[in-house]
Amino acid sequence: MDVDRNMKVPINQLRLMLPVVLVAVLAIFPIIGTPRVWLLYLFLFFVYLTMANMWNLLAGYSGLTFLGPAALIGLAGYTLVIVTWNDLPFYLGIIGGGIVAAAFAALIAVPTFRMRGIYFAIGTLVVPEALRYVFYLWKPVGGEMQGGGAGYMIKGIGELSLTEFYWLALAIGIVSIFLMRIILRSKLGLGLAAIRDSDRAAASSGVDVFRLKLYAFVIAAFVTGAAGAIFYIYQGYIAPASAFNIRWLMTCLLATVIGGIRTEEGPIVGTIIVVFLHFLLARYGALSLLIQGVILVVIMLLIPEGIVGFVRKTRAYRSLAALAAGR
Amino acid sequence: MTVEVLAGLSRPIIMGVLLGGLYALIALGLSMVFGVMKLINVAHGDLMIFSAYFAYAVMTTWGIDPILSLTMGIPLWFGLGFVIQKYAMSRAFGISMEAPLIIAFGISLILQSLAQIIWSPYSRALEAPYALGGISLGITTVPKTYLLSFVAALVVMLVLREFLRRSYLGKAIVAASQDKRGAELVGINTGRVYAFAFGIAMATAAIAGVFFGLTFPFTPTSGVGFLIIAFGVIIIGGLGSMLGTFIGGIVLGLTQTLSGYFLGAATQMLFVYLIVFLVLAVRPQGIFGR
Repeated sequence: MDVDRNMKVPINQLRLMLPVVLVAVLAIFPIIGTPRVWLLYLFLFFVYLTMANMWNLLAGYSGLTFLGPAALIGLAGYTLVIVTWNDLPFYLGIIGGGIVAAAFAALIAVPTFRMRGIYFAIGTLVVPEALRYVFYLWKPVGGEMQGGGAGYMIKGIGELSLTEFYWLALAIGIVSIFLMRIILRSKLGLGLAAIRDSDRAAASSGVDVFRLKLYAFVIAAFVTGAAGAIFYIYQGYIAPASAFNIRWLMTCLLATVIGGIRTEEGPIVGTIIVVFLHFLLARYGALSLLIQGVILVVIMLLIPEGIVGFVRKTRAYRSLAALAAGR
Repeated sequence: MTVEVLAGLSRPIIMGVLLGGLYALIALGLSMVFGVMKLINVAHGDLMIFSAYFAYAVMTTWGIDPILSLTMGIPLWFGLGFVIQKYAMSRAFGISMEAPLIIAFGISLILQSLAQIIWSPYSRALEAPYALGGISLGITTVPKTYLLSFVAALVVMLVLREFLRRSYLGKAIVAASQDKRGAELVGINTGRVYAFAFGIAMATAAIAGVFFGLTFPFTPTSGVGFLIIAFGVIIIGGLGSMLGTFIGGIVLGLTQTLSGYFLGAATQMLFVYLIVFLVLAVRPQGIFGR
């Protein structure tokens, strides 16, 4: 973004103002009486966006094809259960969920980073499946179980309404966007890019491959976990079969790939499409998934760089970018 | 005392070996695709379940026996595999490393939701008169379906093994898996060979689906869990070896029934996944791999 520095002042100010105004408008949505359904879909948008952003950080920028986001989300959800059942406030559950997810990521990093490429992918696919059975067996807080399985209600969130859920989701969504911006422009981001292109070359030029991957993994796990906990505060109920479900991976994958993996804006565009499809086809659950599957295959075959990557390649975008840069 | 323990153990051991046969049957196609193209076909489990649904549809509409319906299922699945490889995967290989994986995920999503739309999310089962009830194996009685799947696995494994060793196409597949450029240099059309390999793998998935459906009830999402088991099987068995895959299946089957016997039925799947994860972490090339 070096070219931006040469930009004329008005455009520069506009660039700065636009996100601030956008966030402010989004934040007052619940107060000005936006329909509940809209808030609900925006809530889902921000939660999914956060997860997709973090998945993009791992799969797109760090070369870690991580197939187990469900493990982090499920663990954070159950941390939330434990926290709220011990009469602690829910926000501790969100932070705790993030911490537990991050700690778990650090724990599995040691064995999984030994696996390379496709083995890493499958190794991390096994993790949520195993965890699901752990939570079928282990009853973390005892007490009454819901729905015949091993499900729990989230306690102590009775006074919270969709407005609060929405603000939480908005906050984490914005945090995830800024986090991506900061990480990708930091030394960590550059090191990760080097590792993704060739880990051997990176290691031989002095990049500590394991440590950088670990940092990215732990950061992504924390944010994904926190977003998962926020989702379960809204859901109010958690069960192993849905918490450690491959659907979480599908959401991250769809949003990132449709929008454009390895682009910063990709997950935003992709998540809009994913949530829009949810909205449009809410009554036909299976059909919505079918369409998403078809889109995934078609996008991958025709424009593997995703919508954002594709738009960037077009001539119109390039000339616009050149115009904005004042050339 | 020891006699009693052994008598008690004989049932989980026999059941484990037979169950392992079914696991190996599911894993054979995955092993072939993984060995030849280095592709994790994450849609393998769903393709297998879809074959069970196909047999179910044939059974309920025309009353044709599930195993007999394979005369339609095998060519259909072979064609499906051939087409998937020729028109989707082969292009994806040229795009990036994760592209084939993502396309396989897309196919998996499509198949799951198709099965859900056509047959509803409720669980279904395949039935055949000869597969009902149990059969005595001297020490213990086992369900006939377990024995049937084990025999099917043994047959498919041996046929594949001999096919890869003796036929021209089989040798070409092995050559392409060992050294793609070398194979091309001696005049093997690797694109075609890959399509055949994928087709054959899908044909075994069709067989596995029918025997799976006879053994267990299935839902549109049953495939995911068995994909991971099948992957565990080939990781333990080592890459591309048909016999290794068979042994891997038995190891996992025994892990499941023995941990169920000693530690309770609830823990058995957990131990299967733990073993898979441990083998991946310690010896990703497989216990029998080089």
